[in-house]
Amino acid sequence: MRPEDQDPIIEAYKRGIDRTLIRENLKRTVTERFEQAMALQRFAEELKRAGRKARKTQKDA
Amino acid sequence: MLAALTGAGVDYILVGGAAAIAHGSARLTQDVDIVYARAAVNLSKLVKALGPHTPYLRGAPPGLPFQFDEQTLRRGLNFMLTTSLGDIDLLGEITGGGGYEDLLPDSVVLEVFGLHCRGLSLDRLIEVKRAAGRPKDLEAIAELEAIREEQ
Repeated sequence: MRPEDQDPIIEAYKRGIDRTLIRENLKRTVTERFEQAMALQRFAEELKRAGRKARKTQKDA
Repeated sequence: MLAALTGAGVDYILVGGAAAIAHGSARLTQDVDIVYARAAVNLSKLVKALGPHTPYLRGAPPGLPFQFDEQTLRRGLNFMLTTSLGDIDLLGEITGGGGYEDLLPDSVVLEVFGLHCRGLSLDRLIEVKRAAGRPKDLEAIAELEAIREEQ
């Protein structure tokens, strides 16, 4: 990208990007990238469920 | 979701977070965004693909007389739906990108779970996200540009 096309705000955000995750993803096939995302999604849902349960237990105690 | 759409022969292009994942994004997305062809035959295919999976307007109160059929699709343009397969945004057009025919030349064929579907190219995805101008997209644009630099 030419320097004149760079957006300083985007460049600032770019400094916070974890490029190791990108590099690992680029080694994967498209299907593997989706499998990874779906596994993370399931993990996030499970964490949300656990959080809800913990808050309810705390409230009921 | 993609199996239902592709199996019914729907003409669509994957955009948004799911397209970003295909290009290597590590960000999670809650829904699938597609730009669909507005031709009558394609609307019928969309109904055939998603109709059996109880599509309903996402966030709307239950009990609305929402019918997911060709007429509804013809009268509207963009639909944010929840289905038994997950959430999906059906987009007739996107800001800075236009409709299916406009985006088709800038799409790439993706092989996902043995299926072939179209996704927006990385360069075009960055362009449309920039055009949308939403603050929430800034980090996503930064990541997409980083992916382009890492390739």
